[in-house]
Amino acid sequence: MKKYLTLFRINWQNSLQYRASTVIYIVGYGLYISVILYLWMSVYQAGNKMGDYTLTDLLTYYLLQLIVNILILSYISWELIDQIREGFFSNFLIKPLNLLVYWFTVNLSGKLLETIYLSMIGAVLYFFMRDYFWLPHHFSTFIYFGGSLFLAMTLAFLMDFCIALIAFWLIQVRVFKFMLLYLVFFFSGAILPLDLFPQWLQKGVHLLPFQYLAYVPIRIFLEKQENLSSVFTIELFWLLFFFALASWMVSRGVKRYEAVGG
Amino acid sequence: MIEAIRRHLKLYIAFLGHNLKNEMMYRANFIILSAMDIFFMGVNVVFFTIIFNNVQTVAGWSYYQMLILIGSVGIVREMAYLTFRQGFLNIGDYIRTGEFDLLLVKPLSPQLHLGFRHISMTESLGEGIMGIILAAIGYYHLPPGSVMAVPLYIIFLFVSLIIYYSFCLIVNSAVFWIIKSQELNTIVYYFMETARYPRDIYRGIGKALFTFVIPISLIATTPASILAGRVSYSLLFLSLSVAGGLLLIGSLIWQVSIRHYSSASS
Repeated sequence: MKKYLTLFRINWQNSLQYRASTVIYIVGYGLYISVILYLWMSVYQAGNKMGDYTLTDLLTYYLLQLIVNILILSYISWELIDQIREGFFSNFLIKPLNLLVYWFTVNLSGKLLETIYLSMIGAVLYFFMRDYFWLPHHFSTFIYFGGSLFLAMTLAFLMDFCIALIAFWLIQVRVFKFMLLYLVFFFSGAILPLDLFPQWLQKGVHLLPFQYLAYVPIRIFLEKQENLSSVFTIELFWLLFFFALASWMVSRGVKRYEAVGG
Repeated sequence: MIEAIRRHLKLYIAFLGHNLKNEMMYRANFIILSAMDIFFMGVNVVFFTIIFNNVQTVAGWSYYQMLILIGSVGIVREMAYLTFRQGFLNIGDYIRTGEFDLLLVKPLSPQLHLGFRHISMTESLGEGIMGIILAAIGYYHLPPGSVMAVPLYIIFLFVSLIIYYSFCLIVNSAVFWIIKSQELNTIVYYFMETARYPRDIYRGIGKALFTFVIPISLIATTPASILAGRVSYSLLFLSLSVAGGLLLIGSLIWQVSIRHYSSASS
């Protein structure tokens, strides 16, 4: 446990060093979100309505995206893919660390730092947008929301980790990584709440694990999500599934590993 | 003047041929890139289709007018990749390695050199073709407009390209201070990502901000308005003046910033 705490601290300091990229990402995504807010205001001012969402619901939905999206954006796979492909992974093999726990710790410390930045920006945004921002009526909602965010981050990490492990078998993994990004972007509800999708598409989307990354947590915040216990149960099932898949891939992959250039 | 244009055209064609040969070496890569472009354009079409299932118009734009708008973004993007876009993605490397020295001593302005050296036909080709198809579908479904619409549309696509270029130039001028151009270009990426929403959604301060400082409300809206038959002279005039003004300001900022370049490793 102690070694992972040390790792957490080291990576925390590393992330502090590279905060410029985080800030630029937030500026860019903030620009996107503010344009979307203008779009919805214009739609609602014309007297239209999207599904059962009020304007406040929708604006809150997209403001929360700012936080949710960066939490579920796991980027450890870029580094892991390079390590496996270029042979630096050999260094890791002689260390007394668990591969999955190692990368989970790295991801966690980076995300925690970004959450702190984002909370500051969130506070500023809330100040300007407070007339348009929905706050939950029950205190328990915050706890459920926090829990669902943590599960979303873990699920996103596990998917990303599995994608990176493909590098043991194939050289061109970046393509899969981009595909995952696009799938998440579309099927997590990041561009539109999933219940606004056409009926036939909704049925398929609700069978996929991506909804737990953005749509479900934000619906919980908006107090629109019913059957919380069954939702969390299915999400846990997906977490277990990807955990099992990752463990299996690690054990098979390490045997295949060729230590290029080593 | 004509001699200069001819010389630059010749250089452009030489660079284009050279880069095309490079790109053709990785055929699989090219197919994957195009597939992703088409997927992403498709996502945007789905986004607006879902909205139009709930509403008749968005800020006065009908569904087919909106298709022209989405298509125009794709076309401007491909035009940018056929000229300057890729060069700016590489500028950070030039500066970090000191290779920028070589650009400075060549008998071609560094701005133009950067612009032409990394022309990429395939990087955004899927988006460009998809864009033309979408704009054509939209135009076909609208009541026939004036004969001048199509040539005027093409002219104003170039005006939008100038606005895009100037913004890119201003943002990338910061590279002489912070070296990392990849991150700066994340901003340029979002700049184009947000260009596909009609100008009419903005109100108050937002409208001024997205016209003069971050001119996303003009890039796609002005050309698309022409083809969609909803253009006004004031909008055309606004686009032309913003393009001219930004290009001037951009070039000035670039000239000042370039003095801040202090070579490397030599």
